[in-house]
Amino acid sequence: MTMSPAPPAAPAPRTAGPGAAPPADPRRAGRLGTFLRGRWLKTIPGRIRAHVVLCLAALVALLAVLTVATGNARDSVQTIGHDAGPQVVATGTLYFALSDMDAQVSNILLIGREHDLGIGYDESLRVYEQRRAEADAAAVQAAQLAGRDPALKRTVQEVLDGLGRYERLVGQAMQLDAQSNHAPGEPPGQVVDAYRQATDLMRLQLLPKAYNITLDSGARVRQSYETKRSAVLAGRAWVAVTGVVALLLLIATQLYLTRTFRRLLNPALALATLATIVLTAAGTGLLTAHAGHIRKAKEDGFDSILQLSRARAISHSAFADESRYLLDPGRADTYEQTYLDKSLSVIYPDLGDKPVNLENYYAGLEQKAAAYKPGEGAVPFLGFFGDEARTAGRGREADALGRTLEAYRAVQRNDARMRRLAASGDRAGAIDVRMGRTSGAIRDFDAFDAALGALTAVHQDAFDTAIKDADGGLRGWDAAPPAAAAVIALLIIAGVRPRLAEFR
Amino acid sequence: MRGTRATAAVLTAATVPALLAACGLGGAEETSAAGRDSLVIGVKGDQPALGVKRPDGTYEGFDVDVATYIAGKMGVPKSRITFRTTNSSVREEALAKGTVDMIVATYSITAKRRMKVTFGGPYYVAHQDTFVRADATSIKNVRDLKDRRICQVTGSNSWRRVIEERKVAAKPVTVGTYGACMDALAAGRLDAVSTDDLILAGFAAGRPGRMINAPFTDEKYGVGLKKGDLKGCEEVNRAITGMYQDGTAERLLNKWFGRSGLKLTTSVPQFEGCT
Repeated sequence: MTMSPAPPAAPAPRTAGPGAAPPADPRRAGRLGTFLRGRWLKTIPGRIRAHVVLCLAALVALLAVLTVATGNARDSVQTIGHDAGPQVVATGTLYFALSDMDAQVSNILLIGREHDLGIGYDESLRVYEQRRAEADAAAVQAAQLAGRDPALKRTVQEVLDGLGRYERLVGQAMQLDAQSNHAPGEPPGQVVDAYRQATDLMRLQLLPKAYNITLDSGARVRQSYETKRSAVLAGRAWVAVTGVVALLLLIATQLYLTRTFRRLLNPALALATLATIVLTAAGTGLLTAHAGHIRKAKEDGFDSILQLSRARAISHSAFADESRYLLDPGRADTYEQTYLDKSLSVIYPDLGDKPVNLENYYAGLEQKAAAYKPGEGAVPFLGFFGDEARTAGRGREADALGRTLEAYRAVQRNDARMRRLAASGDRAGAIDVRMGRTSGAIRDFDAFDAALGALTAVHQDAFDTAIKDADGGLRGWDAAPPAAAAVIALLIIAGVRPRLAEFR
Repeated sequence: MRGTRATAAVLTAATVPALLAACGLGGAEETSAAGRDSLVIGVKGDQPALGVKRPDGTYEGFDVDVATYIAGKMGVPKSRITFRTTNSSVREEALAKGTVDMIVATYSITAKRRMKVTFGGPYYVAHQDTFVRADATSIKNVRDLKDRRICQVTGSNSWRRVIEERKVAAKPVTVGTYGACMDALAAGRLDAVSTDDLILAGFAAGRPGRMINAPFTDEKYGVGLKKGDLKGCEEVNRAITGMYQDGTAERLLNKWFGRSGLKLTTSVPQFEGCT
């Protein structure tokens, strides 16, 4: 983009060099010579025309940069708000759905012949099927997002292939489970072995890949956001520069006319100047506001929604580790460790020098999270909710965060109770805490899930509002700049025509 | 003429600073490990099969091979990589100061470190496991370490994970290095050595003994990058995805740890996400 059309004022008096071809038509060559020598610039109409040409050129440049900048703005809101952004969020469902499928299987195997324990056998099967369908739908979104990226496409394909294998393994485990007709919490070894194969496939291969799909496609959105946003901001700078250039040229024209014709003001030119100021100001204002809207949509919306959807998926997966812990005593230590790791990634209270184990985790959580008031003071914990708390504003978001933290503490208190019972040898009591309808572990977890959903909804609203504002701000900017430029051009011409007429 | 010249002067005066400002917007390039001609990579110098400095000054090991692969995917050939021994205590500082661009040195991702370092990967999730003498068949998992003598290496937290986190009443015996632990185990002065399985596998190579294959922690080995280098981090993650998809990860794991009897995971780990 060339911005500063150098005024063809350079009066360099050129004479035809010795090597120049002899002019074929002396009359035409004479006119060209006059032009090149800049003699036309020495006449008043010539100078007026030169001013007008410069003004119009600057105006065209202003129109061009405005068009490019608003085009970039439109692209950015399209990507973040309408195409890739929501699709990335949709792929987050893949991890959640897969993780919950495995959770339902472990519940079914844990309750054995007591089909009414927990949410019940039939309901677990129904949820399993529903999650299977959700996983398929999310995989379709992921495949679309992958587009021409072979590595991402392959990861999606591997998840789908693995899911087929997983379902076969689950089928075997369920069949063995039905045949054994065991009491709750006492599945025979062969059921546990069959389940181990299925859950290992899920937890070690499919879930990591599903998680990486969302991370990788999210990284793409971040990169395109960075590029588009800096294009919008650079566009704003260019609009300001070309606007100022056009303005200065208009003022120079005005001054020239004032001096040459001894008139105070050329009203049409003054109007054109005013209109240029308005167009430039409106253009830079629009782009500033737009950059703000997409920033809000990205940081307060997209980033937080993704972050919270990970927190949700990992909490559900941790909750399922509780039933795996009860289901497979041989691996109880491992499942307790993965439960702790997942809990730490959700909230990591500062434990000081104390060893990182569940006992200290419960205590640290009660101590740090209970004392914390969302929106006030330093955040005394890390993890997903730590990140969320550090960016949380006051009002609705702080309230929702506060309720989520409280509900999370209730979930962890149930976990402590369940493990205490299991460690003391009361497996039936532990299963009752985890799966019982009256004891409340499931109810409290659902309450936590609902609170987390409400917190996510706050960010979804922020996202929707920012995208709506960005769309709304751009409305009309297809037609407005060309129309305004046309009006300004007409005003300029209308302003100088009477003066030029004086020389006819 | 005067009018035109004044116009030109005003134009130039107004345009130049504004143009500079416009350029400045795109010019604020942060330091990233991505898009470099050469890379300085921090590795360990004394960890068998992971990062070992040879007498001739070159490095070898799983971490070194992984780092070479990642750098290659980021467009830096082996000839333009400089490896530098980076000990555990100076890792955060070395990244912050820029003395290394990247660290691949059994660097576990933790919530605390993530406040100071941007982690790509993990490129492998190691687990704490236990190595015992071949005849110690009664030790099957971490709980069986009760009343046994385990190695407490100065500066390593692994013994705490058994005694403090798992609350297994083992007896810690202070030894200088894991290499010395292995000697002590063979000589019968110790009953078990418990730490990250890849580290154990490296030290165990060529020694009699048995890996119990009862992992009880997750150690996510990440690629350390300067805090905020999201672009570098995303490229590292793509490189690691490629490393698992094209079979390089499996080949490297087998090359360095295949003979240790350790159960290796050859599927891509769950990434932490670039923050």
